Amino acid sequence: MYLINEYIPIFILLIVAIGLASIILGASYLLSVQKPDTEKNSVYECGFDPYEDSRNQFDVRFYLVAILFIIFDLEAMFLFPWAVSLAQNSAMGFWTMMDFLLELTVGFVYVWKIGALEWE
Amino acid sequence: MNFFLLHQNHFKLFFPEVFLATSILLLTLYATYVASSRSLGFPLITRNLNRISVFILIITFLLVYNNEISFKEVYQNTFIFDILSTQVKEITLISSIICLLLFEESLLKLKINNFEYSLLLLGAILGLMFLVSSYDLLSLYLAIEMQSLCLYVLAAAKKDSTFSTEAGLKYFILGSFSSALLLFGISILYGCTGTTNFHDLSLLFSADFGSDPLMTSAIEKGILFIAAAFLFKIAAAPLHMWSPDVYEGSPISSTIFFAVIPKLALFTVFLRLFQGVLFSFQDILLYVLVLFSMASVVVGSFAALKQKKLKRLLAYSSISHVGYLLLAFAANSIEGTQALFFYLSIYMITSLTLWTFVLSIESTTNLNRSKTLVDLSNIVTANPLLALTGLLAFFSLAGVPPLAGFYAKMQVFVHTMGSSFFFASFFAILTSVISSYYYIRVIKNIYFEGLINKTSTDVFHYPVTRASSLMLGSGLLFLIFLFLNPTMLLLFTEKMALSLF
Repeated sequence: MYLINEYIPIFILLIVAIGLASIILGASYLLSVQKPDTEKNSVYECGFDPYEDSRNQFDVRFYLVAILFIIFDLEAMFLFPWAVSLAQNSAMGFWTMMDFLLELTVGFVYVWKIGALEWE
Repeated sequence: MNFFLLHQNHFKLFFPEVFLATSILLLTLYATYVASSRSLGFPLITRNLNRISVFILIITFLLVYNNEISFKEVYQNTFIFDILSTQVKEITLISSIICLLLFEESLLKLKINNFEYSLLLLGAILGLMFLVSSYDLLSLYLAIEMQSLCLYVLAAAKKDSTFSTEAGLKYFILGSFSSALLLFGISILYGCTGTTNFHDLSLLFSADFGSDPLMTSAIEKGILFIAAAFLFKIAAAPLHMWSPDVYEGSPISSTIFFAVIPKLALFTVFLRLFQGVLFSFQDILLYVLVLFSMASVVVGSFAALKQKKLKRLLAYSSISHVGYLLLAFAANSIEGTQALFFYLSIYMITSLTLWTFVLSIESTTNLNRSKTLVDLSNIVTANPLLALTGLLAFFSLAGVPPLAGFYAKMQVFVHTMGSSFFFASFFAILTSVISSYYYIRVIKNIYFEGLINKTSTDVFHYPVTRASSLMLGSGLLFLIFLFLNPTMLLLFTEKMALSLF
């Protein structure tokens, strides 16, 4: 039974999250003044209309930039916890990250030289 | 500096992998600068890179071979170096070198000019080396991801071919699904035991762990998920649907690599996991393995009967061979494991010979489409020696006596019966009779089809390359020699099996 007991906080969190989310969504739906027009209804996040003919052409460069962004974003995500915990780490911890950065730089040089970063 | 002294031996053991990884990085820089240099006129460096890769792999092989320490767990037990891992690495490296030499001409002919191809191949080999040594569920997952990410791109290497990109995408989507299953299984195991390390897990399971029924059933589910991911990766039957399509679509150089290299490493690491660590849960595991093995044998035999394309036929035949291998896996004894490694080694030699045969029947008319059985019909007039080699290789795959394949198959059946899997082994023997039908049909196509229907004989075949002819000759020599005197390979595989138990 202890397995289930351990999950009770997560269950409470789930209920609170669902409740809070539905309150916020419902309140903004009910209380706000709604004047929709074409521009307001259109999707503005990612540049493409998600509900149209899937045979349209799209530029692959958007995706290339997005993928490269994710890689270097993840690098920053690794760097922060490393920087915070550097005082407790041994030399191994330091040099591991240096190795990681070096290998990432090789990847960056590759991406740069083959021209994936150039838009035109 | 204390820390460096502590890790000195670890680094010594890891030196082949470190060498390979560093070489890949340097090779990336070299290839990028040369291939994008305006002053050199953007040269094509496929052949050059291929030769350098072979050189790097030879040095890596020598480093693995000259390893002094026979058993050690390194880096907080995440990796293990023992006789099994060393020998499997040796086999993997040798067969990769052969593969690289074989398809050099084919890369040029198919105009796969992007220099990333060789780099990705080296990356996949590095991933396989990590996979063989991994002794922790996390390092296992990371190594599997490393090799399969490289293989997904290799499947899609011919960018202007729809089939190739389709194969790459299919392989990627299904492969990431199976990786998700693997991760799910690992997380269940971790949630129940609190460790991912093989050593800790084996200690934990050797104590009386089965007292809590809730826990036991949860761990069994986790093991089933891990087993499903493994069976997917080796294309065992109900999870095999990706393999014929990927073999068919990807360029032949990638197909050879998929067909020959990764299976041995995957089998090694999962034997280590299932027999060395999860031995308390063998009942359910053996049940699953035998079921999957019987399904693979049936699908491999019956689905291949209708295939007209050579690559698909070989893909289905590899599924049925995976069935025999799983049967040896399920035998769960030292002899059974030895039979598995023996079968796998001979299968690798045979399929390298066979794929070289497929590479060598390239003619001007079938270069850019996949080869069908009809393409075989004029080989016997164009190149009788090649036809004879093909005949013997197919007979060895079918397990016909004066060739090594017979011995491998017999050993698997004998040791499976030794572990009292009578029904499964008789079933496999019966289906292997069916599967020998389509091997003989291929041989009929090689030898008699040209006589029956006069197909167009004005086909221009490319000459068999030097590397291909060497491979065909030595492969054939091994197939005959290992039937006459298998002691060498038996001792080699015995050592591998003994280091598991």
